[in-house]
Amino acid sequence: MTRGAVLFLTGALVAVFSVPTAAYLKLGTRVGTRTVTLKWSQFPIRYFITDRGTTGVTSTQLRQTVQTAFSTWEAVPTSTTSSEFVGFTLANPSSRDGATVIGFQNRPDLERTLGATSFIVDTTTGAIVESDIFFNTAFPWSVSAQGETGLFDLESIALHEIGHLHGLAHSAMGETELRAGGRRVIAAEAVMFPIAFSAGTILGRTLKTDDIAGIGDIYPNSTYTRNTGSISGKVTKNGAGVLGAHVIAFDMRTQTLVGGFSLSEDGTFVIAGLDPGPHVLRVEPLDDGDIESFFDATLNIDVNFQPQFYDKIVVVPKGGGTSGVELNVVAK
Amino acid sequence: MRRFILILMLLLCARELRATVLVPAEFHEIVTGSQIIVYGRVTSVRAEWSDDRSRIDSIVTVMAGSYLKGGPGSTVTFRVPGGQIGRYRNVMVGAPQLQAGEEAVLFLRASGPSIAHIFGLSQGLYRVKVDGRSGRRLVVPPVLMADGDATQTIARGDRNRRQLSLDEFAATVRQAMSGGAR
Repeated sequence: MTRGAVLFLTGALVAVFSVPTAAYLKLGTRVGTRTVTLKWSQFPIRYFITDRGTTGVTSTQLRQTVQTAFSTWEAVPTSTTSSEFVGFTLANPSSRDGATVIGFQNRPDLERTLGATSFIVDTTTGAIVESDIFFNTAFPWSVSAQGETGLFDLESIALHEIGHLHGLAHSAMGETELRAGGRRVIAAEAVMFPIAFSAGTILGRTLKTDDIAGIGDIYPNSTYTRNTGSISGKVTKNGAGVLGAHVIAFDMRTQTLVGGFSLSEDGTFVIAGLDPGPHVLRVEPLDDGDIESFFDATLNIDVNFQPQFYDKIVVVPKGGGTSGVELNVVAK
Repeated sequence: MRRFILILMLLLCARELRATVLVPAEFHEIVTGSQIIVYGRVTSVRAEWSDDRSRIDSIVTVMAGSYLKGGPGSTVTFRVPGGQIGRYRNVMVGAPQLQAGEEAVLFLRASGPSIAHIFGLSQGLYRVKVDGRSGRRLVVPPVLMADGDATQTIARGDRNRRQLSLDEFAATVRQAMSGGAR
């Protein structure tokens, strides 16, 4: 999708109220009765690469691609992260060995999974013991600079998975379409959107505003604290809180989108990492697919409401927050 | 204020681990690509090492209420990536987590003698929840099924998209198996 098309779509959000979007979440894990954010306590993240290629991609090319993807995340100006390639290994990415291993693996039982990130977590502390990423050799891969028809772009998928490795969960900021023979992505405003673009494209190599807000939220540096702001409030329906509603902030100045979810029973939401300035808010239900890609299955996510725009422009202050936004929605 | 927001985000945004990159399946693909389609109740979930002892998987057993396709017996068992043995929990982000007592419609695949797995990691899992007001069993998430040959953009909040009752869902599966609504 071209930059122009992106701008058209984001503009259309305001105009026709129908473009599906959403925002980033952070990964978490339960420690006793608490849920804590999953994040690295020490940098650099030290990782190994499995010394095994696949058709069309050598292990050396895999290493280069993974390094590029790490570098893309590390270049975000509002967050501070770092990584270090330790060396090649014969271990599989799924091996429990206390090391972070990234590599190709044949998983025919995961027939729709291009790649995945796994963690071993100490349930008494919530600490990451190790995290691994595998790329499924059941699919055809490419590391070509321009992409190759019919092959999935390794850098795009690596960028997504390394986002998970850092603790980012999925963003729902994407649009799909259905047609006889399948479902496909037609636009994504976040690398962390869980559904892959069709084979052959390299659109997933560039972080979007939503991704940048997310990584800054987890590993903020002084630039983040000083230069970004937040919007918070509640989503309600018939006076009660709505859980799992998508609240999207459209930056009128940069024409970019960042958002959040209402993540408590009272409908409270917070969208952080926003550029200062005027924003338009929209709330919508996550009723177009796999809720479990975003939320714990035990949560009672409400998808029975109509999309709604907030009737005021919300101005985000630099280094501060605007609170008290009330978004009232009605059932379908 | 900043500190308050960060604390709030910490408390509110942390969720169970789920994520991966999926090649999406349309409902017909899920139906036709599954050897077993069963509605039932989870009776047990136990974690065990994979055959090569490289990872922990969960073995889930379901008491079958009814089969819409296939039908190996009164119970069906399948494997889901991830699980907890001792102090350490292995989570493959994106893999569904099931608990005893839950009801679901499951679309399962198996190749050769291996234990079955859910189609498309979580795409073949439709949970059944009891609606608090009506008492009806509803299937979540809503079904996304192509209608005819025309391409349809999926818009969130579409008033025509709703959660189906268990009976309606079963009828939709049968319709997809017969090649309808495409």
